[in-house]
Amino acid sequence: MALDVPLGRLPSASSSGRAFARFPWHIAFLVLAISATGIWNLASASRSAHAPVWISQMWWMAGGAALALAIAVLDYRTFLRIAYLFYLAVVLLLLAVLVRGRLVMGARRWLTVGPINFQPSELAKIAVLLALARYFHYDLEKRRDGYGLLSLAVPMAITLVPAVLILKEPDLGTALIVVAVGATMILFAKVKWRTLALVGCVGLAGSAFAWPHLKPYQRKRVETFLNPEGDSLGAGYHATQSMIAVGSGQALGKGWGQGTQTLLSFLPEQHTDFIFSVWAEEHGFVGCAALILLYFLLVAAALTVAGNARERFGHFVAVGVTAMLFWHAFINMGMVTGVLPVVGVTLPLMSYGGSSVIAVYFGIGLLANVGMRRFVN
Amino acid sequence: MPVVPPTAPGTAQRALKPRTYWMGAVATLAFLVLLGRLYHLQILHGDEYKERADENFVKELRVPADRGLVIDRNHKVLVDSRPSYDVTLTPYFCAKRCPEVVSQLSALLSFEPDELERAQGRLAASRGLARFKPFTVKVDITREELDLFEAHKLDLPGVDVQPTPHRNYRYGASSGHLVGYMNEIGADEMERLNEEMRDAGSSALPYQLGDYIGRRGLERRFEAELRGVDGKKRVVVDARGNAKPESSLIPEDQRFEASRPGLNAVLSIDWRLQEFAEKTFPATAGVVLAMDPRTGYILALVDRPAPDPNKLSGRITRKELEAIRKDPLQPELFRAIQQHYHPGSTFKVVTSIAALEEGVFKPGGTVYCPGYFFLGGHRWRCDKEKGHGTIDLEHALGASCDVFFYDLGNRLGADRISKWGNLLGLGHPTGFDLAGEISGVMPDAAWHQKHIPGGYAHGMSVNLAIGQGDVNVTPMQQAVLYGALASGVVWKPQAVLRLEDAKGQTVKDFPPAERGRLNLKPGTREEVLKGLEAAVNEPFGTAYAQRLKDVKMAGKTGTAQVVALGAHRLKAWQMGYFERDHAWFAAFAPLEAPEIVVVVLNEHAGFGASNAAPTASAVVKYWFDLQKQDQAAKLAAEQQAANGGVPLAPALVSAPAGTAAATPLAAAPIQPVGAVVIPAAAGAPSPSPARARHGAEPSTPSPGEGQGGAASRTAKPSAPAAPGIAPAGGDGAETPAPRTSTPTPGGNRGA
Repeated sequence: MALDVPLGRLPSASSSGRAFARFPWHIAFLVLAISATGIWNLASASRSAHAPVWISQMWWMAGGAALALAIAVLDYRTFLRIAYLFYLAVVLLLLAVLVRGRLVMGARRWLTVGPINFQPSELAKIAVLLALARYFHYDLEKRRDGYGLLSLAVPMAITLVPAVLILKEPDLGTALIVVAVGATMILFAKVKWRTLALVGCVGLAGSAFAWPHLKPYQRKRVETFLNPEGDSLGAGYHATQSMIAVGSGQALGKGWGQGTQTLLSFLPEQHTDFIFSVWAEEHGFVGCAALILLYFLLVAAALTVAGNARERFGHFVAVGVTAMLFWHAFINMGMVTGVLPVVGVTLPLMSYGGSSVIAVYFGIGLLANVGMRRFVN
Repeated sequence: MPVVPPTAPGTAQRALKPRTYWMGAVATLAFLVLLGRLYHLQILHGDEYKERADENFVKELRVPADRGLVIDRNHKVLVDSRPSYDVTLTPYFCAKRCPEVVSQLSALLSFEPDELERAQGRLAASRGLARFKPFTVKVDITREELDLFEAHKLDLPGVDVQPTPHRNYRYGASSGHLVGYMNEIGADEMERLNEEMRDAGSSALPYQLGDYIGRRGLERRFEAELRGVDGKKRVVVDARGNAKPESSLIPEDQRFEASRPGLNAVLSIDWRLQEFAEKTFPATAGVVLAMDPRTGYILALVDRPAPDPNKLSGRITRKELEAIRKDPLQPELFRAIQQHYHPGSTFKVVTSIAALEEGVFKPGGTVYCPGYFFLGGHRWRCDKEKGHGTIDLEHALGASCDVFFYDLGNRLGADRISKWGNLLGLGHPTGFDLAGEISGVMPDAAWHQKHIPGGYAHGMSVNLAIGQGDVNVTPMQQAVLYGALASGVVWKPQAVLRLEDAKGQTVKDFPPAERGRLNLKPGTREEVLKGLEAAVNEPFGTAYAQRLKDVKMAGKTGTAQVVALGAHRLKAWQMGYFERDHAWFAAFAPLEAPEIVVVVLNEHAGFGASNAAPTASAVVKYWFDLQKQDQAAKLAAEQQAANGGVPLAPALVSAPAGTAAATPLAAAPIQPVGAVVIPAAAGAPSPSPARARHGAEPSTPSPGEGQGGAASRTAKPSAPAAPGIAPAGGDGAETPAPRTSTPTPGGNRGA
């Protein structure tokens, strides 16, 4: 790769000190606020399990923050250079998971390297957004009137290859996020209306075609979503209990550590995918509104970064990170409140999980990186 | 690799920045949707979800209420509860070994084939969460089996023995039809009952599967009252159903709700009389019914055959049940109210009254009996083939002349007989408060027109007049009829005096209920009673052999034909059981002021005089013996109190408690208390009987001391300061009257 090509009038590595003057402190503040809330909430959620997962979450977050700082300091064009390489590596890891992954509850999602267990699918989100950002960085110039069917082939492939691999694990939630992030970036790059309509139709037909190929439990989830109370002790149990937890929080919540649904383990996956129901039960509508406000502010701040990036790669990276944060938050909270079907999607910085925390901080690091080098008139 | 295109700062931004606004708009909208959803769940429907969250962790356990007792008029317990050791199996805990465990149990506890089959069925049917739910494999194992089980307990994972309260009918079949029995509630029935209870706003908890419910008799009639209200125990459970006793989620005062025991049913039956009647009555099938003609309360009700309610209450095998169902004697039939019979000669009192009241026969009138009666070419024969000659009503009833009544029947016609039968309570239910009572048949001309091929013929009234033909009465109607003769009142017969709560307070009582009064011409009743008196007390009377020495009893025998007479009268032993006549006897005593009516029906036993009257006579005699005995006991108690009560005053304060404990009197502390009610002012006690009794008491030298010991015990709360008798008297007023079951005087204190 021609990495020595000058990149226009850009601040050199030595000028990163000046860049830090533009460090997006508000984003850092929002991230830290949500992280702190997440740890506090986890401390309550893990009481019944007698496993202080919030401590290990703190370690993960500390690690994540360090990673984010490191990423922020690096010139983001480094990522432009290594984007495809990184993508290739992640795809290989995903293949490795399918072959050698650890089988947990019928799914192969974990890869064990030495002492570390991690989920390559979390990295796939970053890999896809970097790869797409790089692709559009170069390609967008040629498609000023938007992407047509043929020209979409490459970005769609970039999105779908890891998505399909993840779906094979199976991990419907993460696959969905990958597709959502990819789709958001593609839409951001502008797609011709005709093509959009066509893809929409094909997508619908495709999902109809894919239906019989879904795992039975995945099908069950969608069916359950359409009628959650229909089988409240069986497949609808998660959705029903989660809604009971959320609703029973009422306006002000039951108070930290007082959630009966949490304490007596009626909530499944209460410190990972259903962490938001713990929050909703204990802090009520007011607490939920505050948390949603934090996420909204974070997304808005991230969009501002995306809008003010210095160049296309930065725009797309920031948009990708924004999309990742938004879709995670929206799908997760939507599922917990019964607006969306139950899919295994974490709530950024609230759900327990090392891989997820690292992936989010990775994204935040990229966002800060772009923000620090934003375009200034 | 491609060269990075020179993108001038700002060029990309101009194109791409607006697109971020679109994204922002989409994100805002999405978050607003979430907020709206949260508002819906938490604010609009928060209450509902809060309730459901609470329901999640509150598990309500039932604390079963004690079912009310059934007791006789003297508070003798007839029906109570006992623990039944039920064996349950929880499939989860025996897992793959379950079938093996079941067969082991089957051998250990000697299962019936259908019990084994049922257990295996339940085992196969329990899947998923049901595996955690214990089910009953065998009820009511014996103590020996319990020991055997305990010894093998370790080899039988998942098996538990649960003591559950079970209805205990202390006198078995003897109380059978009246008390009834219970068994397990059915699923549909449970739903229906629970719905009814909900609609009625009942405070009782809904029935659950496995509950027992009253099926027949009083158990069914008073199911709601006997049942009581179950209590509740609330515990916190987690999602797996594990109890969390340390949790404080349920406030202390809501964790336990005590059960309220059911009401006790106090019967009007005197069980001593019942047991005596049961013992005395020789019948295979039949009824002995004793009723107080002053109130309509039933004093004894033997109804045979009856299945054992202890068996029927969920302890019966299919084979045994089959046997009961197929028994030609129909043990499930409550004969006293559910079966009717020709009254035979006992019906002649109705004919007599009708004839006297309708004026077709004048008091003092006579009829000539040649031994037969001719009407329209048909010849009816009299009981006595040679004939009774010229005979008046007293002799006709006493000797049970048929021709006399053929003649009256001929003069009356069916309608007028029927009219008086109806007035005396025949032809419609007596109102006895148990399900399934039939009305019997009191046919008039219209009835015959409707039911008999060929319609009414006047000759039918001739048959009717002697209680044959188509008239049918239940034993209960017979008792009401003779009760009306005895007292002038047509009673609604009742077997329950009142319902009491556990403290003995009356919650509901059932006062005597009149259904009508006989409004007879002067002389009618006397004329008929003369005949009934003669039947028992005159040498020509049919029941002369059963006369009583001390009490004047009036009665009427009856022999009800079951099959048409052939050319020759056969002896009972010459006929098949089901072709033999029914023997009736209905009586009351004392004649002057009747206190008891006894009706005896001995099915297929032959003559009333020899097969029903002796039982009735013995029952009447025993009743008056009991009366005398109770009277004596009461008198003795009164005198004892009056005797010991007055000099007791100083002793009350001084008597050491030890005296009471040392004295055999301590065993009967009720007596002095009840007796104190008799005013102390009655003064000089009549000492003779009391002294005689005290003489039998070796350890107490003076009557006063002995009394003082007992009285101070019972009057304890107010003892030290009490200036004598008053407080003890106050106490006594609340205590029930002395138990009538106290043994005869003198017998109770000989240590």
